[in-house]
Amino acid sequence: MSTAILVRPTLGQRISGPATAALEFLRLLSQRPVGLAGFVGIVFFLLLAFVAPYFVPLQNDPSLVDIYLTPSAAHPLGTDFQGKDVLNQIVYGGQPIMIVAILAALFSTIIAITFGSIAATIGGRIDTAILAITDVTLTLPKLILLIAVAAILRPTSFVFLAVILGLLQWSSLLRQIRAQVLSLRERDYVEAARSLDLGLFHIVFREILPTMRSYIAIHFIFAMTEAMYAQVFIIFLGLVPVSGSNWGIMLYFAQGQGALFFRDSIWYILSPILAISLVQLSLVSFASALEDIFNPRLRGS
Amino acid sequence: MPVLSVRNLSIDYLTRRGPVHAVRDVSFDLEQSETLAIIGESGSGKTTLAVGLIRLSPRGTKVATGQILYTKNGQTSDIRTLDDDDLREYRWAECAMVFQAALNSFNPVITIWEQFLDTARAHGMKDRHKVRDRAAELLDLVHLDAKRVLPAFPHELSGGMKQRVLIGLALMLEPQLVILDEPTTALDILTQRSIIDLLRQLRQRLGFSMIFISHDLSIAAELADRMITMYAGRVVERASVADMFYRPRHPYSMGLLRAVPRVSGALGSVASIPGSPPDLMRLPKGCTYAPRCPYAIDACREADPPLLPVDTPRHEAACIRWQHVAGVLGSDAEVPVAEKLA
Amino acid sequence: MTAVPVASEPIGVRWNPRRYFGGFWRHPIARAVFKAVLTIWVTTTLTFFLIRLMPGSPVELKIDELIQTANGALTYDDAKAIASGLFAINLNAPLHEQYASFVWNLLHLDLGNSFLSAGTSVTSIILSVLPWTLFSVGTGLLLSFIAGIGLGLLAAYRRNSLLDRVVSTGGSFVSSIPNYLIALLMILFLGVQFRLINFTSMRGAYSSGTQPGFTPQFIGDIFYHAALPITIYFMTQIGHWILSMRSATLSALEEDYVTAARARGLSDGRIRSAYVGRNAVLPLVTQLAISVGFIVGGAAIIEQIFAYQGVGLRLLAAVTQRDYPVIQGIVLLTTGSVVIANLAADLLYSKLDPRIGRAGGASG
Repeated sequence: MSTAILVRPTLGQRISGPATAALEFLRLLSQRPVGLAGFVGIVFFLLLAFVAPYFVPLQNDPSLVDIYLTPSAAHPLGTDFQGKDVLNQIVYGGQPIMIVAILAALFSTIIAITFGSIAATIGGRIDTAILAITDVTLTLPKLILLIAVAAILRPTSFVFLAVILGLLQWSSLLRQIRAQVLSLRERDYVEAARSLDLGLFHIVFREILPTMRSYIAIHFIFAMTEAMYAQVFIIFLGLVPVSGSNWGIMLYFAQGQGALFFRDSIWYILSPILAISLVQLSLVSFASALEDIFNPRLRGS
Repeated sequence: MPVLSVRNLSIDYLTRRGPVHAVRDVSFDLEQSETLAIIGESGSGKTTLAVGLIRLSPRGTKVATGQILYTKNGQTSDIRTLDDDDLREYRWAECAMVFQAALNSFNPVITIWEQFLDTARAHGMKDRHKVRDRAAELLDLVHLDAKRVLPAFPHELSGGMKQRVLIGLALMLEPQLVILDEPTTALDILTQRSIIDLLRQLRQRLGFSMIFISHDLSIAAELADRMITMYAGRVVERASVADMFYRPRHPYSMGLLRAVPRVSGALGSVASIPGSPPDLMRLPKGCTYAPRCPYAIDACREADPPLLPVDTPRHEAACIRWQHVAGVLGSDAEVPVAEKLA
Repeated sequence: MTAVPVASEPIGVRWNPRRYFGGFWRHPIARAVFKAVLTIWVTTTLTFFLIRLMPGSPVELKIDELIQTANGALTYDDAKAIASGLFAINLNAPLHEQYASFVWNLLHLDLGNSFLSAGTSVTSIILSVLPWTLFSVGTGLLLSFIAGIGLGLLAAYRRNSLLDRVVSTGGSFVSSIPNYLIALLMILFLGVQFRLINFTSMRGAYSSGTQPGFTPQFIGDIFYHAALPITIYFMTQIGHWILSMRSATLSALEEDYVTAARARGLSDGRIRSAYVGRNAVLPLVTQLAISVGFIVGGAAIIEQIFAYQGVGLRLLAAVTQRDYPVIQGIVLLTTGSVVIANLAADLLYSKLDPRIGRAGGASG
């Protein structure tokens, strides 16, 4: 057994550590083609949503002459009911959707981690209260409530929308985090930490949560898919005051303007459908691959 | 003809990184009404062997070579060559395997009665009343109240009760051979006692042959006629119980016996075996026990020693230094190994 | 040495009335009922406050609207009185009284009247559309469940075979795509591009002019109209059932009692149904009830796309029309039914799994 347990890592080790981990991760991912495809898809759409707008100028001028043009060199995906280029809208339309999805997932994850850990570490009445609230929220029909809340509160900012979506999602992750923290609490290294009188925060954030990293990452991705579903849902139904243009708004107008029924305008409605579907598929495939990778039982022999 | 004759049986687990040789070239005979104990550490291959005897190995296991010859009424058949229907009949009607009580051996969502019925039906007993009578009879045999046990669900029974039910169920079709895997593990000591007594009683009454597998030497001492010690998938010593307990000739057997302290008398020289069992995928050249053996010499690391008869023809050990081991032990007296080495 | 008396060991403890009150909290059924009541109460209160207290609350908006349309002919108090009547609450009473009367009405299943058609109770409105949603959602759910567990079981038994891979990947693929997008794609390709299905004739819950009744003609008609929503519900959910059942079956197959059953010579068929199947399905039954909540919510958009007159579509209409009593009523009703469905699932599970719901267990 090595006695050099407390030797500090050299700079080279510190840099190579994460790098080798990343390479190892990519290697494992390449063994799962569907997951790899999902990963590539996510990267592609992130680039499309956040990087492409810097390279593609925004074309926002309606042109009545160009309504519902079929795909051509000038308009690879045709034009919409206002004569605006569809491809351009797809490029610019991803960002709001993805931002809201990420924010909502972030928000729900933070709530789940905070209150799940609190419930598990403090226990007692607070635990019972948090658990009761979670159980109640878990059973509520989220989409119906979303419709009602959106109708009554009429959120205009996307951040507000993200907050509402986040508030509907934290329940299942909270329960899981609470369960994990409870089980880990009893483990030896936590006992060791406690006996060294390290504070509560330290125990939770430094000892317990790092082991749940993969868990939380996977849940974050699933939360993003749920947020995207709910978001497009609510926009499509016209319950959110529409401003600007994003994939969901494209769908809303497409349906409203009857684009569904014109043969020439198929790309106007098909593009956002494909974009959203591909993002969802990529997220789900990647998350499933992650589950597979991080589950030690299934790996190897 | 022995009831069961296993000849050169080898079983491999097929993994992504290569085959794991869980059972290597195992042979033994079991006579009518004889009880054989197979003793080994976890990972020695004993459970793989037991499960292989009724061809119930999990997916990804392959029986590489060997024969399992079963004889009844003068007719011998190789279990390995049985087709599915014959195999299903063999299981339970000829050879019943009792699993650890601590394991989930019962379907948790149906009653004990239904599980009796399922077993009976699978072997052609369709008459519910007959099955009912037989079940009551069997439960009586294992000292349980049928009226209470049959309508119960498995989770309502204690470990000891479940073990008894498993034993009773095993005897339903009057098999010639009963295999028990760790029959007393995970039971408290009083229950262990009662199970051992029960097995002894039943064996006397019904005369079946028994193989039991354990890491617990005391049950071997109580019930077995003959013993086998297994290490890293191989049989390393084969002897009668008395020979094994007082005159072991393989260093591993000796190590095992030495590790068991006596309740009464001098502590003697009790010691555990240093080191750990080898990786079954990468076995060392030569004797697999050599790395942990206090008597190993260079010759040991050259070739895996075959089972050689030692003192008597019915006592075999796979060690080229068995005479040295006999010398270390000193006497042949019926005294525990730990005391002899003190 | 005397043998330990075994026959006297007790088998489980039957439900002992003496321990009723002390053990109340531990009894899982009591806990489930309490949880259900709590959830309904929370939603009720939330809706109440959402509608009454939010700045720019519907009540306030209504009052403003009344004042504006009257062009000064109405005073604030008069408008308030009218709003009172419309919302069926006494706006001048203190808040807790309003709340009390609100709850009181609810318990009598009085949800007030619709804004638009004064005199039509919300309850009657809901009752006229609810059956359609229940019918379409229920049928889709049931079909997808049955097909899903069948395919999932099969896929697990033939693990890693072509069938398994096709079924698992296909199921996962289809359920990842939002159901409304699949609906749009269906219309787009089957309806518009390839003209395979005549969507316009399939709108609505049943063809106008058809007499409602238990005639085969009518029943055939309602299935015709519900076919598309049912197909969508089926498609989007079956993936989940397939994957859940597959993983549950794989776990069950690894259980010791399956090996033990094989060791006893039981036939594969019997093991598959009573040993593997029954154990694998158990957790899925609870999921079944829980998924009702999700689908009922998603039904709104499907009903909108296919113009199917169910509760979802009615809710959306009420939202556009600012018909708050109807919105409130539908929200409460859906929550109530989801809660009841969850409760039913808990009860069902405790009936199906003999390990739950009894104060059982013998001593070692």
